[in-house]
Amino acid sequence: MGYNLLEALNVRVIGSGDRYLLLAHGLGTDQSVWQRILPLFTPSYRIILYDLACAGSVDPDYFDFSRYTSLHSYVDDLLNILKALGVDRCAYVGHSVSAMIGILASIRRPQLFSKLILIGASPRFLNDEDYHGGFELGEIEKVFSAMESNYEAWVNGFAPLAVGADVPTAVREFSRTLFNMRPDISLFVSRTVFNSDLRGVLGLVRVPCCVIQTARDVSVPASVAEYLRTHLGGRTTVEMLRTEGHLPHLTAPALLAQVLRRALAR
Amino acid sequence: MPTSVTAARQFLTEEATRALDEAVAVARRRSHAQTTSLHAVSALLSLPSSSLRDACLRARSSAYPSRLQFRALELCVGVSLDRLPSTKSVEDPPISNSLMAAIKRSQASQRRHPESYHLQQLHSSNNNNANATGCSQTQSILKVELRYFILSILDDPIVSRVFGEAGFRSCDIKLALVRPPVTQVSSRFSRAHCPPIFLCNLTDTVSGRVGYNLLFPGHEDGIDENCKRISEVMAKKSGKSPLLVGVCALDALRAFTESSTKGKSGILDGDLAGLMVMSIEKEVNELVNEGNEEKLGLKLKEVEATLEKCNESGGVRGVVLHFGDLKGLILDVVSGDFVSHLVLKLAGLMEVYRRRLWLMGAADSVEIYRRFCDKFPDIEKDWDLQLLPITSSKSSFDGAYPKSSLMRSFVPFGGLFPTPSDLKGPLSGRNQSIPRCNLCNEKYEQEVDAIMKTGSTVSVADQYSENLPSWLHMAAVDTSKGEDVAKTNAGESMLSAKVLGLQKKWNDICQRLHRTPTFPKLDINPSMSQVPIVEGPQFSTDLKQRSHGDLSVNESLFPNQSPSRQIHMQKKFLPRSTASISCTSEGRNMNFHSGLHMDVPSLTQQTNKDMPWFHHPRQSLSSCSGRTHTSSSFIPPVTTDLKLGAIYASTSQESDTTKLLNHKEHLQHLSSSVSAEFDANSETTSYQFAQSSSCSGPTSGEQFDLGDYKSIRKVLAEKVGWQDDAVNSVSQAVSQLRHRYQSSRGINCKGDNWLTFLGPDRVGKKRIASALAEVLFGSQECLVSLDLSSQDKVDHPNSIFECEELNSYEVISRGKTVSDLIAEELRKKPHSVVLLENVDKADYGVQHSLDLAIRTGKFPDSRGREIGINNMVLITTASITKGNKNVICEKKGMKFPEERILGAKNWQMQILVVSASDDAGKSNYTGVRVTTVKEASAYTSANKRKLINAVESSELEKTDTQEGQHKVPRSSCLDLNFPVEEADEDDTGSGESKSELLSESWLEEWLSQVYKKIYFKPFDFDGVANKIVKEIRLQCERTVGTGVALEIDEQVMVQMVAAAWLSDKKGALEDWVAEVLGRGFAEAGQKYNVTPQSVVKLVACEGGVVKEQAPGIRLPGKINLN
Repeated sequence: MGYNLLEALNVRVIGSGDRYLLLAHGLGTDQSVWQRILPLFTPSYRIILYDLACAGSVDPDYFDFSRYTSLHSYVDDLLNILKALGVDRCAYVGHSVSAMIGILASIRRPQLFSKLILIGASPRFLNDEDYHGGFELGEIEKVFSAMESNYEAWVNGFAPLAVGADVPTAVREFSRTLFNMRPDISLFVSRTVFNSDLRGVLGLVRVPCCVIQTARDVSVPASVAEYLRTHLGGRTTVEMLRTEGHLPHLTAPALLAQVLRRALAR
Repeated sequence: MPTSVTAARQFLTEEATRALDEAVAVARRRSHAQTTSLHAVSALLSLPSSSLRDACLRARSSAYPSRLQFRALELCVGVSLDRLPSTKSVEDPPISNSLMAAIKRSQASQRRHPESYHLQQLHSSNNNNANATGCSQTQSILKVELRYFILSILDDPIVSRVFGEAGFRSCDIKLALVRPPVTQVSSRFSRAHCPPIFLCNLTDTVSGRVGYNLLFPGHEDGIDENCKRISEVMAKKSGKSPLLVGVCALDALRAFTESSTKGKSGILDGDLAGLMVMSIEKEVNELVNEGNEEKLGLKLKEVEATLEKCNESGGVRGVVLHFGDLKGLILDVVSGDFVSHLVLKLAGLMEVYRRRLWLMGAADSVEIYRRFCDKFPDIEKDWDLQLLPITSSKSSFDGAYPKSSLMRSFVPFGGLFPTPSDLKGPLSGRNQSIPRCNLCNEKYEQEVDAIMKTGSTVSVADQYSENLPSWLHMAAVDTSKGEDVAKTNAGESMLSAKVLGLQKKWNDICQRLHRTPTFPKLDINPSMSQVPIVEGPQFSTDLKQRSHGDLSVNESLFPNQSPSRQIHMQKKFLPRSTASISCTSEGRNMNFHSGLHMDVPSLTQQTNKDMPWFHHPRQSLSSCSGRTHTSSSFIPPVTTDLKLGAIYASTSQESDTTKLLNHKEHLQHLSSSVSAEFDANSETTSYQFAQSSSCSGPTSGEQFDLGDYKSIRKVLAEKVGWQDDAVNSVSQAVSQLRHRYQSSRGINCKGDNWLTFLGPDRVGKKRIASALAEVLFGSQECLVSLDLSSQDKVDHPNSIFECEELNSYEVISRGKTVSDLIAEELRKKPHSVVLLENVDKADYGVQHSLDLAIRTGKFPDSRGREIGINNMVLITTASITKGNKNVICEKKGMKFPEERILGAKNWQMQILVVSASDDAGKSNYTGVRVTTVKEASAYTSANKRKLINAVESSELEKTDTQEGQHKVPRSSCLDLNFPVEEADEDDTGSGESKSELLSESWLEEWLSQVYKKIYFKPFDFDGVANKIVKEIRLQCERTVGTGVALEIDEQVMVQMVAAAWLSDKKGALEDWVAEVLGRGFAEAGQKYNVTPQSVVKLVACEGGVVKEQAPGIRLPGKINLN
């Protein structure tokens, strides 16, 4: 059973170290997004890589629309993977949606995670009365309909926006992974993500967290990092990256690696 | 970039290539630029022995005749193709990206499924000619087989939507394609062949039930994930009382109780079967808010009794007690006693009936739970609680998938279809693709039910047709009409029309609210947009026939709804502007929606357009008519027709006159369908309409809503009482703007959201801008204010104005330009009023950006990124006063020119008492004098020499800047008659630099581009100063005594005038004089022996910064005594 799951989600464990480090990619990417970070950590960590069920590199047949209706199913996957691998403690690095997943997973199994490092994390993307998530409901609906009508055009428009910084290779890479996702799945997952609201449960997190936020991120306003810092239950630090965009691991891997190393050492 | 056909061919097997060629042929025939998935679908359906057709046949639900449903499908595809723009015919329309992506996807999935591929071959005797497959595998490029090709085409959202419209689910079809047609009967549910491997099969956490749900995305009774998890918690041995935590927790809790009381399967079954959900939520609320303990006691007794009766065998096996929001229990409005009593009681129940009782509640956030725990430390054990994080309220199904055949998507005025050449595009294009969402569907159904009940003669056919998808429905209606128009009994057709009307209504509602974005997508191509104009008469006659019933439905329907709408409307609009109540159908409808969805925070968010602030009435027409004719039955028909106007008739290109014409037509059409009495009325309304357009001022013959105008004017005038003319023209401009946007739906209209305020009175301009922000966007926060000149301005330390200003230019230093700064601000507040002060002093970069912005509607920053500004109102100000002689003449004799006031400092004040003998010359003067700074400093004693120097130098500085400020107006108004003194200055400052000339010509050009120029009058500083002096004198006489001479330092005077200018509140200065100054005088009177020979002086403490501010006005809260 577990074996199949590992197979299906392309779980890989690489590197030689005594500690586990789990790298979880965000929406629209897959584990290849960590490529440039990876070599910097393989000497000292055993790195677990996996793909979310919605990723383009996973067989779309595995994606069960009736199951992945909320983030909890992804959390199930994550915990099952760790169980199957026999990991009893690891550091977790999660990007965007995986940051959310990490938060939820650490609530369920606080002992499993030594540290959460959240890149471009947001407990809720939509604005609320006294919360600025960066998106209005109307805008989002517009985006969804754009996705529905012409996925490729949307990808081509969205990718540079999300990448933010002017790094053509990063844009290309992100477009590639984004385009790998089947349109209906990515639409479905986006809806799931935008429906999610973790604000109420942040206080349940006990694991120390490090929130990494870039200077300018189309998806996550800077105020969100502060919100996370004040609301997360564990000891939380915020690291501002002096770069732009939602995908620092693509655009500024060296910079991110530095910060990661620092955060992991603490 | 599209791929050429030959390149695409090499990926396909022979059979698939044939299909592709056919698709290309379809595209060519229709002279489309590219071959898309839709073409492919069309081709696949038309192919003889088409496997897609075959699959559709097997997938379709047996409820409808297959012939009809196929016809519907063909129609849907055809119409969708019609909507694609056509170009000059290309030889071989290249393959579009989406289709190419589909081919790539199918390649990948074929690679993944070698086994099922073979399996397919075994079964594929009838619909797969499979001769090419053998060789395809040996080649290096994996050739895509037709089946996989079709499968991935079906993934395309456009395609699945088209199928959805025809009542097919593309996932059903996919399934039918994957399953060989051997097991014809109930093949959809057979899992005999190659069961797909899902993750849920792989993991063991969610066991059992999930298996049945396979492959049904958008499943209607798909169990809510939250409910599932709640049941999981409840099934545990200990910690079985779920406490949902999260922002949406309460919703999830309600959803759970609701669906479990409804007895939905999968929620309380298995181990949890036979549980009864009881709620004490209401009682708890009452207890907490009103201290009403009785009811709760009763309810708890009832619960206990039920628990008592519970037994293991059959019947109620246990109780799930749902206590609602935990927040209530920590609020402590009444007293902790009740709550702790309740907590103990529940704990006691839990103790006794641990195996049969579940508690359930929700908390907004963990903090609330923590506080609860603080109060009751043992609660987790006592109540057997288990925290369950809830992260989303609804499942993502909603709206993610078009609902299948029963969604009753529909086309209004169906009868137009027999003449496909006209009107088809815009009409069908609009509605067909928009299924309603769950909620609206539900409401719609309720209403239909209601109508069905009232309608006496309900034929089965009608009911049936109502269940059909739109196209079938249409066909049915059509045939019935065609066959026996004479025979059809009136009631029946009425009824179907009613249903149609309802459908339309709910579709509209739904479309606006839930699926809004689909709307802009439908841009009808240019030729279509002309249709309403050209064929207007025909259109409306057609319409008359078709929608006669429709209108009457509305008539009968709306009266009972209008009260509620009224309420919402008022609730929404009253705080903003009273006149908005007389809003049009649109506003009304939206308000109505807001009634349905109270969670939608504000109206602005509901508007589906890009123009959230222009949601105001688009025609004065309806408001006028609404006023003249109050019967509620009248308004709804207008509603219908205005919608027509709004959606179809007014694409941007139309001129206003045609619009007017159209409206008249609608009115006429209305009048014929409603009543004769209305006829006259319609005349008057259109007359009024025309009138309002003529009264809109010299700038244009544009119409605007008088009511809107008045409400805006009222708000503005409250803020800036002294600028009558400016207020009038601003509010006029804004209401016109709103009107224009409403009517043209925000398309084009470049530059017309730009206003320019010219002339003096900087504070007034700013105040108006912030008032506009409040009117248009609901909050003064929505004002972005930047002073473009502050770069070269000498910084006034401790200026009285500094708190108001955005100290923008400090931020810029890090390699940013002013444009960047503006762009940043704009990005932060996409919906706002933007005030750019002193545009005449903007540097070249900003000028350039502004030019581009006004022309393109996007503001570029220095790096070329653009920010859309169509949602903003941009106001630029300049101090020049063009052709306004009077103003300048008045300026001549002014004691306090604006420049002087702008230089006001926020000093601490002090009162000096000197005996008159020091100053013999003035001894017999007993009035009030305002002394200039120099005189005042001459009075001060010698040891303050240093200070005086400082004063003088600062004075010099001030005059310098004054000149600097004069410069630009001077240079930019060469052609104007400036007063003599100014002209003198002109002579001295010899010649202008080239750049100034340039900027002058730029300014002129700029001013010609902006939508409206509004001239401001100077603020009457002298008048205010005189009033202040009078006030102070009175105050002084009252507290110190008559006969005392009073001297007010001019600097102090300036400070007070400036403060009066700045203060929001009327009479704030008077209050200040009475309180602060009065206190100061009184203290001075006590401290010093004030004789009639004394002179009381009010002077500024140079260098003394104000420590405490007086409330409501920017003046010191305390006066020092010397």
